[in-house]
Amino acid sequence: MRRGLLVAVAAVIAAPAALRAQDSSVAAPGGVRVGITYTPGTRPSLAVLPVAPAATVLDSVRSILQRDLDFSDRFDIVVPPPTVAVQGGTPNYGALTALGTDLAVAVMPAPGAGQSGQVEVQLHDVRTGSLKNHLTLPLPAATGEALRLAVHRAADEVVRWATGSPGVASTTLLYVADGRLWRVDPDGEGRSSVPSAGRPALSPAWSRDGRTVAYTAFVPSGRPLVIQDFASGSRDVVPGSENGVNITPEFSPDGRTLAFAHGDENGTDIYLYDVARRCCLTRLTVGRFYDNLSPTWSPDGGRIAFISTRAGSPQLYVMSADGSGQEALARFDYGFTGQTNGPEWSPDGQAIAFHREVHGVPQIFILDLATRAVRQITGEGRNEDPTWAPDGRHLAFVSSRSGTRQLWIVDLETGRMRPIVTTGGARLPAWSPRRTFFSEAG
Amino acid sequence: MMGRLWRAVGPAMVLMAAACGKPPAPAPTTPAPAPAAPSEAVRAAADSAAAARAAAARRDSLAAQARADSLARADRERSRADSVRLQVQRQSVDTAPPLTAGGLAVADSAALADPIHFDYDKSEVVPADQARLDRKLAILAAHPRLEIRVAGNCDERGSDEYNLALGERRAAAAKRYLVAHGVAADRVEIVSYGKEHPLDPGHTEDAWARNRRDDFVATKGAN
Repeated sequence: MRRGLLVAVAAVIAAPAALRAQDSSVAAPGGVRVGITYTPGTRPSLAVLPVAPAATVLDSVRSILQRDLDFSDRFDIVVPPPTVAVQGGTPNYGALTALGTDLAVAVMPAPGAGQSGQVEVQLHDVRTGSLKNHLTLPLPAATGEALRLAVHRAADEVVRWATGSPGVASTTLLYVADGRLWRVDPDGEGRSSVPSAGRPALSPAWSRDGRTVAYTAFVPSGRPLVIQDFASGSRDVVPGSENGVNITPEFSPDGRTLAFAHGDENGTDIYLYDVARRCCLTRLTVGRFYDNLSPTWSPDGGRIAFISTRAGSPQLYVMSADGSGQEALARFDYGFTGQTNGPEWSPDGQAIAFHREVHGVPQIFILDLATRAVRQITGEGRNEDPTWAPDGRHLAFVSSRSGTRQLWIVDLETGRMRPIVTTGGARLPAWSPRRTFFSEAG
Repeated sequence: MMGRLWRAVGPAMVLMAAACGKPPAPAPTTPAPAPAAPSEAVRAAADSAAAARAAAARRDSLAAQARADSLARADRERSRADSVRLQVQRQSVDTAPPLTAGGLAVADSAALADPIHFDYDKSEVVPADQARLDRKLAILAAHPRLEIRVAGNCDERGSDEYNLALGERRAAAAKRYLVAHGVAADRVEIVSYGKEHPLDPGHTEDAWARNRRDDFVATKGAN
């Protein structure tokens, strides 16, 4: 379904000139929508039922949930007045149907919970007048961060009940600001610095289980690659990365291997480090005075896309995970196509997001691997370093469109863009997996 | 004395180079019969034996030196790897101490630190900057214990990550030039700062041109 939309959309942006024209004339509310057609009214309408009394933990849960469901971009959110929506403690299906809603989410004290503080979240199918699914949130003593994470997980479940695939509210984004690592959740909350080695620390990357991050640390004696346990903060240097410049790490999907680029006086090349055995570098490219960097794995672990300057300017290439079969991936015209950098393979394996300079200004592009067609996603300000959400439909990236460098999130299906407020020039974001497996850092 | 020894060793080294890995020709142990001038023959034989001994001694000392050098290099690498590890484990963020070329004459200090510049997205030393590097060659020749670090930098255009690779190439280009002109490779360390350390915070062509540069600092032997 998603690919069908993408193909339809690709036809809209044939030429760069047409595209620029579109950028200025089709500026929809909330940002540019280059290369994406916005299709309002095709999403289910979902009512988030009010709770009484307001300003309780129930109401906090409801408002976090409502925002998560809104930011999932899968629903048109409706908040009906209490007098209409609820009748005798249950959803008023008739009134909700009259409002045109398809689904309703209710938040209430769990049955028999007494004073334990457990909360039940229900999803109702308004059209059939039935309870579709429900869960109990274990909220005893949960406050702040823990409460929010529990609700985010519930929101992802509600999205799964309604659409068949989970949301991405229970994720977090790592990024670099002021030379240090920071995190922020996709709803803009929970922004805090992450203890890290070196200054700057650059290019954070998550392991696929969300337990570990890797990044480049500028320390006085080198620019090694650091592998850090996210929860405890304990860290180690990738052996062999003490020399030269060691950049753009990315964990393989099975977590056993870390691909990265090592640069020294002979050029910059891509290596694999065996994380499982804590040893052994394998060299995949041999540049000799040109650069190979920014490896990104296909979800099946079989291929690696990367950036190479072998033809002059940095462009997108692909190879097998053993280094064989290297070839250009995104078509480019020598001396005409702008520098291409920051590739990231999509979670569904069908696309690669990257940024490419258009008249000297970086913009976000997506390469469709089936057709090898590229389409431009952004057009306003500088836009760079895209990173995929685990749902494969949201991208976070860095944009200067507001006048300061911030993280933005775009939903590729609807074209909706929203900023995540950060201070101090955010860059190099990395979207985490869903936080279902690991406990939080303090 | 030193001159005499060098005269003896010099030809032996040429001989070794010519032999190119083959074992050195055995020195004659019995003087060849030379009825006309026996004393000269004896002296020639003695000279030749002395030369062979000197060559052997020189060979040993070269081998010992090479061993010592390689051990020192390994030591240096190990201690650098250790300090990288320590710096990564440390909780607080530390920054590199400022380096000064304290012992150099002011003019030399300035000439050593004089940056070279690059064209956009290029890492070749431009002809106009060769004289700047030649000046550094002279300073390095005059101060044999001097070691330097070349830091490659980029302008703000281009991606953060690609610029780290480009900066490394720019630093490597200066090092290649210096090494090609006789500077020992282990006296020149290179580092890339990508676009992390702009000199000029502006967003103009002039600012970019100033920021696309190699910086040079003395790391050792300047005082």
